[in-house]
Amino acid sequence: MSSGISFAVNGRGVTAQIDGAATLLDVIRNDLGLTGTKEGCTEGECGACTVLIDGKPVHSCIYPAVSVDGHSVVTIEGISDGETGRAVQEAFWDAGGIQCGFCTPGFIVTVAALLENNPAPSEDEVRIALAGNICRCTGYSQILDAVEVVVSGKERA
Amino acid sequence: MTIVGERFRRTDGEPKARGEAIFGVDYLPQGTIHAVLLRSPVPSGRIVGLDVSAAKAMPGVRAVISAADVPDTRAGWVLREQPLFARDRVRYEGEPVAGIAADTLEQAREARDTIRLEIEETPAVVDLDYALSEDSPVLHPEWESYVPTLGEYPRGRNVAAECISDPEGVEEAFEAAERIIEDEYRVQRQYQAYIEPKGAVAIYQGGRYEVHTAHQFPFNVRDRIAQYLDIRPSQVRVIGHTIGGGFGAKLDASIEPHACALSRAAGGLPVKIVNTRTEDMITCPSREDAITRIRTGLDKDGNMIARELVVIAGNGAYSGEMPWLASIALHCARGVYRAGPTRVKSFLVYTNTAPTGAFRGVNGVYLYHAVERHMDHIASVLGRDRREYRLQHLFEPGEVLLNDQVLDDAGILGEAFDAVEEAAPWEERLAATAGPMKGVAIGAAWWVTNPMPGTATVKLNEDGTIGVITAATDNGSGAVNLGITQIVAEKLGVQPEDVYVTMPDTDAAGFDAGSQGSRTTRIVGKAASIASDEVIGKIKQTASELLEAAPSDIVIADGKVFVAGSPDSGLTLGDVAMAATWSVGPIQGTGSFLTPFPDFNPGCATGLMFPSFPTPTYHVHLAEVEVDPVTGAVKVTRYVVAQEVGKVISPNGVYGQVSGGVTQGIGYALYESLRIGEDGRYQERNLENYRLPLAVDIPRVEFSPLEHPDPDGPFGAKGVGENSVLLGAAVIANAVVDAIGVPIDRLPITPEVVLKAIAAKHSAAVA
Repeated sequence: MSSGISFAVNGRGVTAQIDGAATLLDVIRNDLGLTGTKEGCTEGECGACTVLIDGKPVHSCIYPAVSVDGHSVVTIEGISDGETGRAVQEAFWDAGGIQCGFCTPGFIVTVAALLENNPAPSEDEVRIALAGNICRCTGYSQILDAVEVVVSGKERA
Repeated sequence: MTIVGERFRRTDGEPKARGEAIFGVDYLPQGTIHAVLLRSPVPSGRIVGLDVSAAKAMPGVRAVISAADVPDTRAGWVLREQPLFARDRVRYEGEPVAGIAADTLEQAREARDTIRLEIEETPAVVDLDYALSEDSPVLHPEWESYVPTLGEYPRGRNVAAECISDPEGVEEAFEAAERIIEDEYRVQRQYQAYIEPKGAVAIYQGGRYEVHTAHQFPFNVRDRIAQYLDIRPSQVRVIGHTIGGGFGAKLDASIEPHACALSRAAGGLPVKIVNTRTEDMITCPSREDAITRIRTGLDKDGNMIARELVVIAGNGAYSGEMPWLASIALHCARGVYRAGPTRVKSFLVYTNTAPTGAFRGVNGVYLYHAVERHMDHIASVLGRDRREYRLQHLFEPGEVLLNDQVLDDAGILGEAFDAVEEAAPWEERLAATAGPMKGVAIGAAWWVTNPMPGTATVKLNEDGTIGVITAATDNGSGAVNLGITQIVAEKLGVQPEDVYVTMPDTDAAGFDAGSQGSRTTRIVGKAASIASDEVIGKIKQTASELLEAAPSDIVIADGKVFVAGSPDSGLTLGDVAMAATWSVGPIQGTGSFLTPFPDFNPGCATGLMFPSFPTPTYHVHLAEVEVDPVTGAVKVTRYVVAQEVGKVISPNGVYGQVSGGVTQGIGYALYESLRIGEDGRYQERNLENYRLPLAVDIPRVEFSPLEHPDPDGPFGAKGVGENSVLLGAAVIANAVVDAIGVPIDRLPITPEVVLKAIAAKHSAAVA
């Protein structure tokens, strides 16, 4: 069954005719062609598909697309429109928080959302906020460094 | 040096941070159709019926193929034993039986559901000891007809490969021993769990196959496709894309050959296959399950005077590269400690399970776990300090190994113990973890840098930037986008941002042995360094004519070319490139490199396929843990690494590798387990129940790089990427045992295992 939905993606209005079973990730990647959001598991476990809905991080691979009707979605492509998002992207790159990069969009979106709500989290708070995102490459250390860079507003020594 | 050894941003970092990087699974050319595979639902059986006629008639379907539609070939890295689609028998759950391509993924799936596959199930061989015994059914009754790709090796029945070293004096040494300590360790499989599932797009056109895949070893994909489809390798062009992690699992072809056959069957339309996570997990060449039996003879003073190590490892249903790796047991049987005459028997056995394969630290992680657990066991029996006992037996400079390889630089091991001692003094840490449910452990290892060949062409562009053409792949480690890039930038006096490295393309670049065994920065970095030397010579020649000076007086630095002493009156690299292009021709150079195997005694063992360890590195790790006696959860509270790297090319890259490798080691020690059920099927089938390390689980790794530059490496570099995973299981298991005072002889050490061990201790105390 298909239904029409209207929502905002990265600040632009979108009207889509979608299959009732479609996930938000399907719509983002396949219908809107925004491939920065990654599909890692389709089980809501790995976090590579994380996007913001009204500022809150969600796993778009298990989020029914129909539910975003009337809401605002921000993907990795839109994160750089915000100052925090840009700073997080820069810091991940600078601190070595990126290796293969497949999990990176999900992490950056998650961190950007965290820092919007809590500009000075403790390291434990950061670790807990990242519990829904899996990185297989870095061992998280340089990701934590990246967050620290943004929080302290300083270049990493 | 201004570039090598300094902290730079990886050159592929910005598109990755912005979500612009196109990974393998993102690649979608115009007109692509989508395919799925019908995989065997059972681990062992005879195919008695396969009817695809309904599927062919389903809407949108472009091609349905099975064994009947493809050449009757067998392919394999080391042994040609695997059919493209199961022909008469299925040998593991998930083995491809048919392929279906349709306009949409949904249509392909719906068509697959209509295929009638009848399999007469046969008993699955699962248990390793059973597989090795004479009682088990033989997985490959036709094993003798299989053709090895690089010469015959010991194999037969369910033994996929064996390596046996039984030198004189072992039995006598055991007989002379005052006491003998024996242990048995069992480990499960570990899934590489890269976040990007495997996928590929194949296009058949003009008698050739073009394959797009995010792969660690594009030339291996090319060769495997050629074997399966019975064509020349040059009829296959493999083009690499950004890789979302691999860790060894993306070293051999998987779904690429099936995509090729489907594209041909579909009239040349681009065919895309992407594994679902469950498919990926249950068919992945995961780290093998293994049983290691180890015993050591001790003299009256407690010195180790005899050793035997027997390992039985699970090959799965087909071999991949595993037979090569069976001899690693010979190189790790004593760890880095003298243990007297040593017998090693390594068996790789067929079971009705997914083929195992390379995972970072191949074979080493469980061998070191066994050796180091055994060392702690011996020390505890003797009442000796565990660190002291290791130092007493530690390899020395000039150590002669079981294969007669000589380790002139084994003294680095002592330096590594010293470096860890400085960071975490042993006596202090023993005192700090003396309380209940706290533990500490230390262990050591040596390892290889993969020596296999690579090549690079370096060109000076007319705008002064540098292009590097190579089939080397960056699996995420930064070996290309930091390592090779920084090496070339240093050589040619430019900034890393002015160097780009092409993505792999087997049509365009020379052979490269893939991102494995920490080889890329060293091997391809050296090849690029040699190529850069040729470019430097040509720059100097051209500039010497333009600047009217001897080539030897020409200096290349900071993007400029000038006569020594006159940096302000020189040319830009672009000026020189332009002048050369229109006078003698464009400036470029090419280099190739590999590391020879160190001398060894070929008579020391049978089945010695991995004969010696080139460019050895040395490692000492220390871990501290806290155990929650109520939940059984283990928390790693501190992790210290001292590691020989030759020369740090990229501090960001090196630390990232160490932290990442240690984390995979922690996962292997505590959480990750791909258990094989008695029915031969994996019990963990998605990332919900396959537990991976999270940010909340991992301490910040303390790291001391040791630098003893290798004269053959680029700026002295040795392998860095792989080896930090080697000792995680060893030191964490020993630290847990130290904490709870009960031996645990299997991995992973889950909360259930810990609670059971603590309960057993209490009931033993009560009894």
